Amino acid sequence: MIKHSLKRILFTILALSVGFLIVTGLSFLGNKSKGPLENLFSGTARMVQSIEEKTILAKRENKRADKLKWYKRYQENISLLMNPDDFFWGASDYHSVESYESILNLEDSLWITFPLIHIYTAWGSNPEHQFPELQVKTILRLGSTPVITWEPWLSAFDEKEYPGIPKVEERDKGCLKEIANGVYDKYIVKWALAVKDIQLPVFVRVGHEMNDPYRYPWGPQNNEPQDFVAAWRHIHHTFLRNGVNNVIWIWSPHQSYGHFKEYYPGDDYVDYVGTGVLNYGTVTTWSKWWSFDELFGNYYKDLSVFNKPMIITEFSSLAVGGDRAEWYVDALNGIQKKYTLIKSLIFYHISSDKTVTDKSLDWYIINDAEVLNAVRAIISSWDKNN
Amino acid sequence: MKEMRRNNLWQFREAAGVSGTDRFVILILTLAGIISIFNFAEWWFRGEHISNLTLFIILSFFFWYVMFRIILVWLNYLKLNKPGSVPEPDDNLSVAIFTTSAPGEPLGMFEKTFEALNNISYPHNTYLLDGTRDPAFRALAEKNNIIWMDMVDVPGAKAGKINEALRRTDEEFILILDPDHIAFPNILDQTLGFFRDGKVGFVQVSQGYYNQYRSFTARAAAEQTYLFYGPTQMGLFGYGSAVAIGANCTFRRKALESIGGHAEGLAEDLLTSIRLHAEGWESVYNPVIVNRGLVPEDLTSFYKQQIKWARGTFEILFAELPKVFTKLSFWQRIVYLYISTYFLTGTITLFFILVPFIYFLTGIIPGKMTFVDFILHGVPFLVIATLIYSYVQKFLCHPETERKFHWRGMILKFSSWPVYFYGFILSLFNASIPYLPTSKKALIGSITVFIRPLILYSVLFMITAVAVYIHRRYYLPESELSFTAERVWGMLGFAFIAFIQSIIGIFAALETVWLKEDEPWKKVDVPMINNDIKS
Repeated sequence: MIKHSLKRILFTILALSVGFLIVTGLSFLGNKSKGPLENLFSGTARMVQSIEEKTILAKRENKRADKLKWYKRYQENISLLMNPDDFFWGASDYHSVESYESILNLEDSLWITFPLIHIYTAWGSNPEHQFPELQVKTILRLGSTPVITWEPWLSAFDEKEYPGIPKVEERDKGCLKEIANGVYDKYIVKWALAVKDIQLPVFVRVGHEMNDPYRYPWGPQNNEPQDFVAAWRHIHHTFLRNGVNNVIWIWSPHQSYGHFKEYYPGDDYVDYVGTGVLNYGTVTTWSKWWSFDELFGNYYKDLSVFNKPMIITEFSSLAVGGDRAEWYVDALNGIQKKYTLIKSLIFYHISSDKTVTDKSLDWYIINDAEVLNAVRAIISSWDKNN
Repeated sequence: MKEMRRNNLWQFREAAGVSGTDRFVILILTLAGIISIFNFAEWWFRGEHISNLTLFIILSFFFWYVMFRIILVWLNYLKLNKPGSVPEPDDNLSVAIFTTSAPGEPLGMFEKTFEALNNISYPHNTYLLDGTRDPAFRALAEKNNIIWMDMVDVPGAKAGKINEALRRTDEEFILILDPDHIAFPNILDQTLGFFRDGKVGFVQVSQGYYNQYRSFTARAAAEQTYLFYGPTQMGLFGYGSAVAIGANCTFRRKALESIGGHAEGLAEDLLTSIRLHAEGWESVYNPVIVNRGLVPEDLTSFYKQQIKWARGTFEILFAELPKVFTKLSFWQRIVYLYISTYFLTGTITLFFILVPFIYFLTGIIPGKMTFVDFILHGVPFLVIATLIYSYVQKFLCHPETERKFHWRGMILKFSSWPVYFYGFILSLFNASIPYLPTSKKALIGSITVFIRPLILYSVLFMITAVAVYIHRRYYLPESELSFTAERVWGMLGFAFIAFIQSIIGIFAALETVWLKEDEPWKKVDVPMINNDIKS
């Protein structure tokens, strides 16, 4: 009797283990390794898109890319983009996760077509943390170049998928050192290879405002400047080692927190110097109605010592506390003469921004006819491209 | 070649025995399958996948209901069992065979049926329960030494006649045979011996067909039954829950009397089965082919049969099962719940085929998972399900003709959704359908109304496909094209699968138009039926 039940138990355990092995094998094939099957299926998804591109997009009239014909030689040539002989407008909009219509509406209102479209993405192991392939490809299909702000938030990494990374609550302290030591290389390499697949040039702005101690976990409250430099160089090396040559690196400190030289990774590692210029007006207690020159001009000298082309990655003013149209006129008039290194301005066009204050801030200018008229007038006075 | 295969049908067959290795392989596959389903579920139920909560819940409910049923099917295979040996029946048992006739049934078919009944080797009395008012039937019965009973005015369809015949006879065992079934000489030798065990109330044997080569519908309808009469019933037997379904069931009179006679209703066999189990009687399933009958050749007849079964089994779910639930064993409860909810498949299919249209019309999707991810996470499950499906085909009663991918049966099941859905609605409102005897001959030229929803769906699909193309070609902003490409074409692809199945369903319905009228029984050579044990 006992012998009989022992046999059954052994039988069951054996079956259980073999079954477990089979499933592990299959899951390995199908899920974790992201191997042949995923390639096959995502290949199919890509195929559908490229078929659509050929059979639908190519046949359309008045494609956006046609309006950017003048820009095509830049879009395809990384050295032209790194040493620009022209000025590039751009815009960002959080509504642009599944559509760029809001950005396209803005450019229609300004009678312009933006060569640059700016998107934001965070580090992590979930699907939304992977390289935003679809968004990037769409931007390129639309005839523009993507500017990607790549934010090294580390809390969204799954320990199971990234064994060896610190526990979530210990992750932020000294995180840049960890990045420099290669702890997150698996993620970085995957992202880098996805960039490589894109082939066309892509702007990447990683670890922005690293000198601001109040905002991001990669700031000085958790890290030393030399760790930032080491992390930056490590990422840069990792890209090069994997044969990724289509990235234009934007090094982007916060203009008012200084210490630029300590945080500068070096001429060989940086292609653009970027910074945001946002006028919060009187919306917050810590802000006043500051002009573009007040926000940026005072720091221009310190930033120009690196002698790199400059990009204003967030350019905008709120409406409260002054004359917004005048702010834009003031900022844009003669900007190319005053700040000769500035080669690009990206409108920060966000309707509900909660990143800095508890209140939701509306940076939209599309509803502000006065601003639109003013900006449109300046752009067309420079007009040589359109 | 075809002719040879047909002749092959008249050879005694039995399903393969179940070895320890078989059980082991099935156990491994089942465990692997259950783990793969857990993995799949773990991925499915992630908060990030919810798009529209209500739709996601409905979708999840239906989807996991289907998956749960698949697990039950697998668990059922764990207990695959075939009676070790068929006990020799005692001598001098008193045995009756009942067969019925209804108006419109062709007399020629009965010639073959009677001839075969007279060839049955174990001594028995045969009764014709005649409901035709046609003297030719009486004459034919008496010519064949078959006891004729006039049942013209007996109410209660087939079961009513059987109960009336039970009152007029006194044999201890009763084999009920449908008139289209041509029995093999050893049919009683394959069942009676099991009654040595006094607890056994009925013995069910497999049911073969001989006209499945006639049409797509016939092939498909036959394919739907193969697994059931093989591994499914063998598993049920293993769990002490083998059910009486269709004809070819041998009953113990005492058992029938203990439940007040053969049950009456649309699914009367299943109802009888459930009552006998509730009364404590045991059942035996013997997976042998000892008779072959006719399967519906045209979609109209098939749908008529299905609406009857759908309505009948839902009736069992709503009316009978709650009454006897406590009297059934654990597995019997699960089995009867499983069977009596089978026809919900129509309602579920309807929901699934509506999902793409809900999306195209309103932009609402139930889940945020991408098609690529879905396929990726479903692959392990699909592989194991296929492995189990292929493995248990070893236990079909006649693997030579039945072992294959039963795609026709699956498509027919899909394209029956209007029928099953209608059956469900009728049951919900307790509305009745008239008793419709299943046609024994193809109803030439009559096309069933139940394909109208299939036609509507196909037209809707084509309009949608064109509209989607036009929308994307001319209207959708170019900045949104690639973002929606995977989802839109994935949805359309999903709808396309349903479209193809609908088209095949419509084809099956139209087949009636060119189906040549035939009397397949004319080709049956009764003396050629081969009894020899050969597996």
